[in-house]
Amino acid sequence: MSVTTPGLAEGVTEQINREAVEALAAEEPGWLRERRLEAWSVYESTPIPSKKLEEWRYTDLSKKLSLDELSLLPWAERQFSEANAPSELRSAMASDRAASGHLVELDGSVARVDLQDELASKGVLLTSIRSAVQSHPDLVEELLATEAVPAESGKFQALNAALWTDGILLHVPRGVRMELPIRVSRWISEAGRALFSRTLIVADEGSRVSFVDEVLSPDFTRQTFVSSAVEVFARNGAQVQFVSLQRLGRGAFHLSQQRTLADNDSTLDTLNVSLGGSVARIDLNAELRGAGANSDMLGLYFGEEDQHFDHNTRQDHRAPHTKSDLLYKGALDGRARAVFRGIIKVHRGAQQTDAYQTNRNLLLSNEARADSLPNLEIEADDVRCSHGATVGQLDQDHLFYLMSRGLPRAQAERLVVMGFLGEVLSRLPLGGVVEKVSSIIEDRLRA
Amino acid sequence: MSEIPILEVKNLHAKVADEDTEILRGVDLTLAKGEIHAIMGPNGSGKSTLAKIVAGHPAYEPTEGQVRYLGQDVLELDPDERARLGIFLAFQYPVEIPGVSIANFMRTAMQAHLDEGEELDLFDFQDQLLERMELLDMDPSFAERHVNDGFSGGEKKRNEILQMAVLRPKLAVMDETDSGLDIDALQVVANGVKKLHAEDPEMTVLIITHYQRLLNYIQPDHVHVMVGGRIVRSGGPELAEELETEGYEQFRAPA
Ligand SMILES: Nc1ncnc2c1ncn2[C@@H]1O[C@H](COP(=O)(O)OP(=O)(O)O)[C@@H](O)[C@H]1O
Ligand SMILES: [Mg+2]
Repeated sequence: MSVTTPGLAEGVTEQINREAVEALAAEEPGWLRERRLEAWSVYESTPIPSKKLEEWRYTDLSKKLSLDELSLLPWAERQFSEANAPSELRSAMASDRAASGHLVELDGSVARVDLQDELASKGVLLTSIRSAVQSHPDLVEELLATEAVPAESGKFQALNAALWTDGILLHVPRGVRMELPIRVSRWISEAGRALFSRTLIVADEGSRVSFVDEVLSPDFTRQTFVSSAVEVFARNGAQVQFVSLQRLGRGAFHLSQQRTLADNDSTLDTLNVSLGGSVARIDLNAELRGAGANSDMLGLYFGEEDQHFDHNTRQDHRAPHTKSDLLYKGALDGRARAVFRGIIKVHRGAQQTDAYQTNRNLLLSNEARADSLPNLEIEADDVRCSHGATVGQLDQDHLFYLMSRGLPRAQAERLVVMGFLGEVLSRLPLGGVVEKVSSIIEDRLRA
Repeated sequence: MSEIPILEVKNLHAKVADEDTEILRGVDLTLAKGEIHAIMGPNGSGKSTLAKIVAGHPAYEPTEGQVRYLGQDVLELDPDERARLGIFLAFQYPVEIPGVSIANFMRTAMQAHLDEGEELDLFDFQDQLLERMELLDMDPSFAERHVNDGFSGGEKKRNEILQMAVLRPKLAVMDETDSGLDIDALQVVANGVKKLHAEDPEMTVLIITHYQRLLNYIQPDHVHVMVGGRIVRSGGPELAEELETEGYEQFRAPA
């Protein structure tokens, strides 16, 4: 329950308030201080989205989010040492050896950055946003919370823009093509906190990069709010893959608000994997704003017990000859719940556009539930669009077929589920991700 | 002294689990080890139902009678337990399992056939799979395709026999494996089954078919005619020829 103090705007609490923003901004350059305070004003003047809004119909924030019980986690200098790292984080990183660079964020502060020397010498920048405010102010001022995920996008986008403590900046200069992914490991340990982190990826003309962001935590006894704002720019002809792997513990409320902006002839693909958390909400807006831009949008979720996943996607075609292809698939056990709401919007003038959207759900128990709401808004006339959604259960004939070859029921189920979800992973076969996600889900199916 | 039959079906009655109509109305059938039997009969006579009950399909409910496999009553066993005892069904309509490769499926199945604690030797398995595919004139790339996903009718049937060849059952029930196969594929499949039988003369085969076609390649020891949920006649291979020329009209039971 979120009880707001009378006289104060919605969502303003003893911890989350203007003073907190001012304290954060105290030592920062003027432009940033102003940006934070403007964002705060937007936050204050925007009501908490209620269930009456279509976009929040299935996620009742008045029940699911307790803002006034959260305290802010202040930024602090943190060091990462492999020896002292929690075992979950260490094992997550152990399977990530092949990388162009690696960044570790601990409780909202970037604690280590490694980048191949060769890439650094080509001008690739991988750093904490906090330090980039000092080292690369122009880039940050131009692109942080301005074009992609500005405060004006909504209540929580505004809150993140006001209260972010740190985050990741990746800038790939023109023509630099990275073979191996950049890997980010984020660990959150403090229960009862609200954390605000940002990711800003800028891939200049003709560059190529893939980025894997993995966020993990233990289970929490008190609600912990993890807010991520993700801004991805693919300039003309760039190729970008962004992967988010969410493995938070129970008690976490993960809110990931992502916007991808694809310029001419660029490829900007995303994969959102939601495995953890009690509540996970993803807002993803893919904007195809340059002619010939292409976005594959993949999503995979596996829920059990009372996990709640809400996916809210938007495919905005603003330029001709653009293509987007969305596939979100999930399996739900226990009383888990998934929502998928997706809009394809083809703007006037975006002729010769292909836009596809598919959401498929597999229910593994009678109490699991999935709601799927695909939607099309088309203003151009020369387009190819399709959307489809299914919610199904394990097919007895499939299980019988596998069992008739000697597989025990549980194993047969596992094979069907993995086959079902595998389609998503096979579309973005990035080193290590497929194996990692498959083995996590298989372990959970085994439990 | 006669050996225990590999399969003994006695007065088997069965229906679809949540319906009343009886499909099998007293089937009697005995198969001795190593024999090849054929069941022929018109559409809807209950042949697939019998096959699925032997394999343990949960949609069918035996209401009376027995199914004994090597003397053991198997009606209470789950399908996977039966499979591990050596029962195999080549499906009339194999289902598609998207995202699961044939190699992965067969590896998992072979592992399931081993005793607890025993690990499948993956290299060994790979060799065997390739060798079995060669036996059935299949391209090695076939193993990487997803089970029946987008397969032609003929590919599905061949895939069934591949699984049979890999799993080496003691009792193989082949439900209309010949339908959907062109003459070349039919020969490959028939030769494959014959080779399997030569490798293991104790393997028992129950061929369910509509036509005599397949029986021209695999000579059965016994032929049974099934009509209206019963075996109405049994005989030698000559019975198949008789049916081919005269059809099933003579057996149609008055309603
Ligand atoms: N799952 C089922 N539900 C309802 N009726 C069924 C089902 N399976 C079989 N039947 C009925 O049982 C009869 C026998 O079917 P089947 O065993 O498939 O015959 P055959 O294989 O000899 O063609 C048919 O009348 C068929 O419609
Ligand atoms: Mg049939």
